[in-house]
Amino acid sequence: MKYLSKKLLLSAALMASTALSAAADVNLTFRFNDSEREEMRAALDEFEAANPGITVDMQTIAWKDSRDQFLRESAVGQGPDVVHIAFVWTQEMAEAGAVTAIDDLVQYGAFPNGFEDHIATDLTKYEGTAYGVPWSADTWAMVYRTDVLEEAGVSDFPTTWDELLEDSKIVKEKTGKTGFAFPAANQIWFPVNYYLWSNGAEFVSADGNGGYKVGVTKEQLVDAMNYFKTYLDDGLVSQSILSIDMPHDPALMQALIDGQQGMAVMPTNTFRQLLSAWEEANPGAEVPLQSGVMMGGSEGPKTHLGGRTLVVNSNTKHPEEAWKLMQFLNSAPLFEKYYTNQFPAQKTMLSEIEYRPEESGFSTQLAENTRTWGAYADSGVGVGPLWNVTSRAFGAALSGQNSPEQAADELIAEINRMLGN
Amino acid sequence: MKLSPLARERFTIFMMLFPTFLILVGFYLYPTLYNLELSFTDITLLKLRQGGDPVGLANYTEFLTSSSFFDIAINTVFWLTAISVVCRIILGLGFALLLNSNFLKRMHMTTLARLILLVPWATPPVVAVIAWRWLFDPTHGPINSWLLATGLISDPVAFTANLTTVWPSIVTIIVWNTTPLIGVSLLAALQTVPSDLLEASEIDGANRWQSFRFITLPYLMPTISVLTLMSVIWTFNNFVYVWLTTGAGPGTYTNVLATEVYLKAFVDLRLGYSAAIGVTMAIVMAAFGALYFRFFGLSDMQDKVG
Repeated sequence: MKYLSKKLLLSAALMASTALSAAADVNLTFRFNDSEREEMRAALDEFEAANPGITVDMQTIAWKDSRDQFLRESAVGQGPDVVHIAFVWTQEMAEAGAVTAIDDLVQYGAFPNGFEDHIATDLTKYEGTAYGVPWSADTWAMVYRTDVLEEAGVSDFPTTWDELLEDSKIVKEKTGKTGFAFPAANQIWFPVNYYLWSNGAEFVSADGNGGYKVGVTKEQLVDAMNYFKTYLDDGLVSQSILSIDMPHDPALMQALIDGQQGMAVMPTNTFRQLLSAWEEANPGAEVPLQSGVMMGGSEGPKTHLGGRTLVVNSNTKHPEEAWKLMQFLNSAPLFEKYYTNQFPAQKTMLSEIEYRPEESGFSTQLAENTRTWGAYADSGVGVGPLWNVTSRAFGAALSGQNSPEQAADELIAEINRMLGN
Repeated sequence: MKLSPLARERFTIFMMLFPTFLILVGFYLYPTLYNLELSFTDITLLKLRQGGDPVGLANYTEFLTSSSFFDIAINTVFWLTAISVVCRIILGLGFALLLNSNFLKRMHMTTLARLILLVPWATPPVVAVIAWRWLFDPTHGPINSWLLATGLISDPVAFTANLTTVWPSIVTIIVWNTTPLIGVSLLAALQTVPSDLLEASEIDGANRWQSFRFITLPYLMPTISVLTLMSVIWTFNNFVYVWLTTGAGPGTYTNVLATEVYLKAFVDLRLGYSAAIGVTMAIVMAAFGALYFRFFGLSDMQDKVG
């Protein structure tokens, strides 16, 4: 009997301890799509060590698939707990009911400098409620191989789109190398917008009566298409750029590292990766890479204020732990130790950044020459769909599939359809 | 109640088929009907939880009257399907005849040749596309390097971005990856051709072409018919080769029905519109299959051969 009692006691103790440990163990899934996976895993290990009972699985999928994948998962009650998305997707995700309102999460703890210390909080709001926390900030700027420009006799960086084209011709003529090259497939969206914005146009603008209209004329679109098409038609860049989606495509990066290309346009993290790759290949040598502000047109240069947002899945069973992870991911040490290619999206932290001299173009661009997508997002059209139809129309014009006039007509008709006009 | 032997047999058959029937209903019929229902709504990826509003035939009308419909149809029917299937059947037949030839047997290379033929078929399409994209690369690709070295071209060719070369490049990848199946299937069919018939024709003075044309080919026709039908359906609906090679670009130059379904559903988020394209594709393929069997009835051919 005594033996039986001991056995029963032991079993009860074991069961209680199992139950307690099961209650304490929370497994979160964090979807992180940037290339700094090893660093992020190390950061998550630190989070796990500081928060016993919470483990975090890190998932990665391609950026271009991540929005749709999460929307599909969320609609059927699935998906990761914390998700890394682009600034401009937050409103779509909120509209789809895929993400949790920040008001429902702040009860678990506040940020050191408050939510409003983040930049671009307007992009996280849907019908007045915030659904995401801006995580990192970036923009695109020009990048130069100073030695290639020097070899071609180009002494000053170009400041207008016309000068950029002219300098590209000079580089080609004097050195046989590529002057300015850009990703002409999906992400031509960025340089095209910069071109239009600096010339006083935008794809969608407010109509002054509370509605929205197409903010670019056919002539302005044809002009933009012809501008970028000139690089291909005049043989200043390889036709292969038509199939290059991203500025960090190996073909573009390698040309910059090898000194076969003089000028490029890219986001902050890509530039930092480029610097690292160059320094790794040329240890101790003087870095011939320098960033500069974007080109101007009839108006000053403008690029977008972009970045990443963190959201909590509306299906999560662990909102408190998810919020704890969000706070860790937004902390200063993360950006200092692990996520070092990105700028934090908190004003306090941004003001404390010490930029490398090569990054001065990015810091100036970010501080003085950026704008949000504004009416693109506010109109309800959404940046994503607008981006896709624009990339396809420019691809058709640049490749010769359609004439610029035909491509411009079709693009304007498509934007009008999206606006419901 | 006592069942007759016939009724018992029917009941047994019914019970044995019933699980399969349930699986077909659950995994095929239900999604098909659901897709049909979606095609009459304006549902988007953002409205998955709320559901879409009915729009009648608007999605079908918009698709069939859109300015891009003709280009997409030509790309799908001509480039993606017709050209690639014809190339596959002709090349597959050529490989089968070569593998069945006495020449390879005399060289003791039959087994090796068959193994080599199977390598492309064993390569997953994703890997095949990545490998070919590298081969076609204008900067580092060996095809451009070779063409430049031999002086055939003076500037590298961006095979997958140039309007002249992009479709032949895609067709090359499809044919390379899928021809072995045709070749191996036709090789199996070739080995059923009675050798005494071929010997008799030789004795009667028939040359090689006549033996092939009047004896071998009729025996192969049922297999060729089935392979053609299957290849047409697989290729018509194929998404992978075009999407991974060009993303339907440059622009929308290589857009086909399957990539249009993806673009509309998961890029433009218009699930209802995309479902309408899917239903249209299914109708076209069903009509094709019915017409194909009507004109090239397999049972007829089997009768002729038998």
